[in-house]
Amino acid sequence: MTNKIKVHRAIHNLTQADLANKIGVSRQTINAMEKNKYVPSTVLALKLSKVFNVSVHDIFELEEID
Amino acid sequence: MKTHYLLSNNYKVIGWVILILGLLTGIVFYKTILDGELLQTNVLVLYNSDSLFDSNNGFFKIIENGILDEIVAILIIVGGLMVGFSKEKIEDEFIFQLRKTSLVWAIIFNYIVLMFAIVLVYNMTFFEVLIFNMFTPLLFFIIRFNFLKYKSRNYDE
Repeated sequence: MTNKIKVHRAIHNLTQADLANKIGVSRQTINAMEKNKYVPSTVLALKLSKVFNVSVHDIFELEEID
Repeated sequence: MKTHYLLSNNYKVIGWVILILGLLTGIVFYKTILDGELLQTNVLVLYNSDSLFDSNNGFFKIIENGILDEIVAILIIVGGLMVGFSKEKIEDEFIFQLRKTSLVWAIIFNYIVLMFAIVLVYNMTFFEVLIFNMFTPLLFFIIRFNFLKYKSRNYDE
């Protein structure tokens, strides 16, 4: 699965720490997601879509291997 | 992330102190602990016999025993549990995943090491391996968990 968290974060002009605060996780978690080392839960994905004000599909995309 | 079995973050530091105290005492007094002569005291035993499965009635006796090994073991276990199972400052689902994978890793690694020891180590030395094996699942877990945490801090922007 790929994601565009970094892009949306840049659009909203948020640092990793800002975004982490907004959705109640640690900065490491944001970092791990952006680096594709961690796939967030549905709850976290929905929180991200709420902060970025876009649909979950605009942030996350399935890959061939999934 | 709601978890019901984790202690508050405050216990982490106390846990480290207890764990390190236990480990250091264990290492320093290792030889004397094996002989079991330090801190001789009368203790109540639940069951004391040559084997768990022989016919002698060995329930509820008072025996004399050096209790330093008991103290060290309890310190290591209590300290280890506090370190491994108290919350991080921000306990979220990513940390939960690190904790979970570290636990699985520790159990598998521990039993692989033990299998090698079963085949390659004998007699009293194997008994010593078993002593260490009381603590290694917990210690491997703590080491692995902290290593993964450290790594996640370091794949930075």
